[in-house]
Amino acid sequence: MGDILGLVAKRLGLGLIILLVISVIIFFMVELLPGDIAEAVLGQGATPENLAALRKEMGLDQPAIVRYLDWLSGAVMLDFGNSIVTGTSVSQTISERFANTLFLATYAAAIAVPISIVLGIIVALLRNSIFDRVANVATLTSISSPEFFLGYILILYLAVKTSMFPAIASLSSDMDFGDLLYRTFLPALTLVLVVTAHMMRMTRAAIINLLASPYIEMARLKGTPPWKVIVKHALPNAWAPIINVVALNLAYLITGVVLVEVVFVYPGIGQALVDAVSKRDFPVVQACCLIFAATFILLNLAADVGAILTNPRLRHPK
Amino acid sequence: MIKKKDVLLKIRDLKIQGYSDETWVDIIKGIDLTLHRGEVMGLIGESGAGKSTIGAACMGYARDGTRIVDSSIEFDGMELTTATEADRRMLRGSRIAYVAQSAAASFNPAHKIIDQHTEAPLQYRLKKRMEAQEDAMELYEKLRLPNPQEIGFRYPHQVSGGQLQRAMTAMAMSCRPDLIIFDEPTTALDVTTQIEVLSAIRDIVDEFNTAAIYITHDLAVVAQMADTIKVLLKGEEVEEASTREMLENPKEDYTKSLWAVRGFKSPQRHRPTDGTPPLISVKNVDASYTGGEKVLDDVSFDIYPGMTVAVVGESGSGKSTTARVITGLLPPSKGEVLFKGEPFPPDYRNRTKDQLRQCQMIYQMADTALNPKVRISEIIGRPAAFYSGLKGVALKNRIDELLDLIELEPAQYYNRYPAELSGGQKQRIGIARALAAEPTFIVCDEVTSALDQLVAEGILRLLDRLQNELNLAYMFITHDLATVRSIADEVVVMQHGKVVEQGPKDEMFTPPHHPYTDLLLSSVPEMDPDWLTTLLEERGVDNVGDAASAKIDPKDAKVT
Amino acid sequence: MSVFVIIYYTLLLGASCLAAYFNKRSAFLLIFSLTLVSFILGIVGGPGALRSVAIAAGLLALAAMVSYAFREFLIVIASTNMAKELRTAPLTAAFGMFVIFTYAIAGIFAPVIAPFGEAEIISSAFAPADETMLLGADQLGRDMFSRIIYGARNTVALALAGTVLAFLLGALAGLLAAVNGGWFDQLIARTSDVIMSIPSLIFALLMLSIFGGELANDTTSFWLLTGFMMVTGLLVVTAVFENNIIGWAIGLAALVGVSVAFAGFMLIIFNPSEIILVLVVAVIYSPRVFRLTRAVAGNVVVMDYIEAAKLRGEKTWYLIRREILPNSTAPLVAEFGLEFCFVFLLIAGLSFLGLGIQPPTADWGSMVRENATLVSFGEITPLIPAAAIALLTVAVNFVVDWMLYRSSGLKV
Repeated sequence: MGDILGLVAKRLGLGLIILLVISVIIFFMVELLPGDIAEAVLGQGATPENLAALRKEMGLDQPAIVRYLDWLSGAVMLDFGNSIVTGTSVSQTISERFANTLFLATYAAAIAVPISIVLGIIVALLRNSIFDRVANVATLTSISSPEFFLGYILILYLAVKTSMFPAIASLSSDMDFGDLLYRTFLPALTLVLVVTAHMMRMTRAAIINLLASPYIEMARLKGTPPWKVIVKHALPNAWAPIINVVALNLAYLITGVVLVEVVFVYPGIGQALVDAVSKRDFPVVQACCLIFAATFILLNLAADVGAILTNPRLRHPK
Repeated sequence: MIKKKDVLLKIRDLKIQGYSDETWVDIIKGIDLTLHRGEVMGLIGESGAGKSTIGAACMGYARDGTRIVDSSIEFDGMELTTATEADRRMLRGSRIAYVAQSAAASFNPAHKIIDQHTEAPLQYRLKKRMEAQEDAMELYEKLRLPNPQEIGFRYPHQVSGGQLQRAMTAMAMSCRPDLIIFDEPTTALDVTTQIEVLSAIRDIVDEFNTAAIYITHDLAVVAQMADTIKVLLKGEEVEEASTREMLENPKEDYTKSLWAVRGFKSPQRHRPTDGTPPLISVKNVDASYTGGEKVLDDVSFDIYPGMTVAVVGESGSGKSTTARVITGLLPPSKGEVLFKGEPFPPDYRNRTKDQLRQCQMIYQMADTALNPKVRISEIIGRPAAFYSGLKGVALKNRIDELLDLIELEPAQYYNRYPAELSGGQKQRIGIARALAAEPTFIVCDEVTSALDQLVAEGILRLLDRLQNELNLAYMFITHDLATVRSIADEVVVMQHGKVVEQGPKDEMFTPPHHPYTDLLLSSVPEMDPDWLTTLLEERGVDNVGDAASAKIDPKDAKVT
Repeated sequence: MSVFVIIYYTLLLGASCLAAYFNKRSAFLLIFSLTLVSFILGIVGGPGALRSVAIAAGLLALAAMVSYAFREFLIVIASTNMAKELRTAPLTAAFGMFVIFTYAIAGIFAPVIAPFGEAEIISSAFAPADETMLLGADQLGRDMFSRIIYGARNTVALALAGTVLAFLLGALAGLLAAVNGGWFDQLIARTSDVIMSIPSLIFALLMLSIFGGELANDTTSFWLLTGFMMVTGLLVVTAVFENNIIGWAIGLAALVGVSVAFAGFMLIIFNPSEIILVLVVAVIYSPRVFRLTRAVAGNVVVMDYIEAAKLRGEKTWYLIRREILPNSTAPLVAEFGLEFCFVFLLIAGLSFLGLGIQPPTADWGSMVRENATLVSFGEITPLIPAAAIALLTVAVNFVVDWMLYRSSGLKV
């Protein structure tokens, strides 16, 4: 077991280092701007006195490295400073939005993960049949469509033409859970469509790869019935690839969520990021980027750790 | 000792097709096979002869991408081709069992060995779990596995290859089947380990009087195992006869060519006595791959101009690593390589063009040694142009000359791609590429082991002729002692990264030997059906393979 | 029961019976399951739903016929070797090639095909379709159809430029890393690990928030592009000249010239903000290209013929050009198609967010955004540019799918 713990610890450490490097990139990229944030805030008409005052207030007279350490230690405590545009605390603005985004992503994942794994296994078992080919074309099409295309099609047919669901996912605090699920159904469905296609294809590939292993043929040649070949011989070895597929696609959800939030005017962190980018509100941009990157790294980490933990060769060392 | 009893398996006009390039192609073109109870039949042929496909078909099983067409496979009175899949499945594991080539890949890594062993008996409700486990331990003991009580409770990756192969044989025996298909069970093993597995398989098949189909490409192995032998070529039968008859009196030309004992023998050369320095001198070399353990430990030997030194050993003995050190691909961590008495830069990148030219290499797999996207003329022409700066007509003439030298018609091969050549021709192109550099020394890395007997002999003759004409020195890496006998002048035996014994060929093949050399020499199967029996009688079943290898006393007198 | 519904079911059932009779198992399964699905659809959605199924089936049949004809056309005009390859192409791949061909025509001859200019205002906002405007007008009164045609030129050219740059840098680095190994390999691999652990869209947004404002001017974009080309070129110079100092001097001089000329040329074609976009995309996707090329080339580098060439004393550039590249063309071309899809979708997404291609340049992503309000009135016009994006990506994916299948099938 020591081996496994060592490997997991090593992988965790690596993730932490990557996150640190990324925080450096995110912070110092903003430093590349000509002038500084103070100039950006005050614009063309700023007097040197105003600039100096604001710089002092924002701590811009300190060397970059000191400000980075300040920012980083703040970020660890979930304090990302104040927005340039509104002046309010960044963490306050985005914390609720982040919760909304997490809700949407979880909603989509809860539908997509079971469906796609089951469908993926089914098409893998039916490989080269007509269903497999149809599924191949369908998933390819779904993957190739931009999220906003799927989103607007759903709005057009399920909201505008038939008014089964609301087109705009407005949230308010007095909604009960069922209402919440109903109102956010279309954005969740859009995400489900994209992610399911990805996950199905990857699950199929992983299972087919697995079914080609000599020990599966051996099991068949031992007279093991087909269901038992799958359950007893394929599945125990399939966890690692499946965990990998799921984690990778949850990570993919993070990117997809930005576009979907904009299409459905959903009050999530993705929309906050897009707004901040167009208003050039750098503290918010930095905070959102760091949160997205951290989630992404965390999911990849989970995939690798999952693969380590389910590997029989590592679980039972020599 | 052919056991004429009732027929167990009767195959008539077996045709199997494989799917490739959108069409079905015949792989097996009408094979008949009759196997009696308790009989062991050897299926022998080159790769691509369809042996393995036939093996699976005996169980009524067609691999993915293949199908059995209008044939008859009758097992103990039951027609498998028309039976339902469920009926066929009921036979597998219980009455017909299968032993695969790679035991490491064919055991499920997620389950303990014994759980996989008891799966079939439990499935067919032949035994209770405890009974099945006890039976497994008994079988492990019969197959001479170490710790039979405990070994089954390990996971496959915790057990060595030779042991795993025996565990798989035990698993095949778990339901006491009528027939076992052995699909190249020892091909992936070293010769010394192979003996243990062979003797274990033979004993257990004898004991339970199980019929078996033994698939292999190794004649000497099949001679030990089989009662009758069937020779296959490209999906068709060449001939079938009892083992002794087949060995003594083969009828077909193809069979005769397979059986032909290597006739070629190069006269042994001796070191020059006039004080010429050795061409290549390996001095006290230690080497290891990045971060790994020491692979070579104090290796020293000399190669004199115009002579052939054969380096012999099993996989992991460090013979290929030695070649990498000489060519400069792996700089040694200690010691040095001298060329004509001068130190050779350890890294090939630091060697001059002339130093690189002197030392060339010929590879085992001609397929991966020739760039498939480049024409023959460029493969051979590039070194000539690179080292000697030949261009235009001069280059063309040189290529023609080289093709003549390796006995290929220049006009015919000049513009071909490697894929359009046979295995032997490709190997000749590899030789021509080495010669194009006009070297004095060539490393031959298992150059004949991927080739058929006859083709291999042609290559050996060619290499010998070239050696005499061009005064080349060869370092011949091989595990095949027949090759060593036919071409070597001196022999170096390696084990675990050390040179255990070296000397002129005639001395090396006459006792007394270093115990490892002795073990290695005695473990190579011979084309005599009684070889294994005699050997086991002489040495005892517990004194072969890994067991014997572990017993070697490092302080033995012959250890150099 | 309308006549349509009766004919609909008669045809379906008849077809499935025929398929069953002639033992076409897969066709039967497909048609019969369609029949069963139709029962449910008919009950839930009425004849309207069935009608859309019929229309979809008709469209599919049409697409299949076009693809078939196009494949036959290609086989006739191609050389014998190519024709042999093409015969193995499934209809989906033929369809993909047809779509790519059509887009190429539309993009190249856009000014000839489009009836109006891309920024020409010709009527009132959101004017409905008439004889002169096939698809009506957009929010400023520009002809939708013309803008879609021009979009084929602008959007695709930009995505293509981004992919090419990403490929140049990534593939060169991958090939060099595979040949040289060692610290160079490690350094680049770790760098690309870091870049790849930021989600691509997020990283693009971050970079655009910085380079998108006043930095998107002629000078900055010119120097950034020159810098990018210098880095790429440096890899080539390293590979070609290795330790030859004079060679390095000549190579560097040539490199500066080529980079400056290239950057100047790009500035003529694209405007500064577009060049920034291309660079952002190239930086984000080159690590992915690197990783794949490293893997593909890694499989070739272990071959004995590479070892033989190395031992002969061949230079890195010869190894890459003559030994590795000819043996990795197929997977690299497939990967180029795949990366193009990713880049194309990323640029479309950014434009949709209003951060990519800037108006008045006609571009599919921003057209969707600008006309999105029409969706709430039940219009499908804003979906057409989105569908154009999806269609091209699907087409490329179909072709790539076939190529990947071919290149992996050859190994067996």
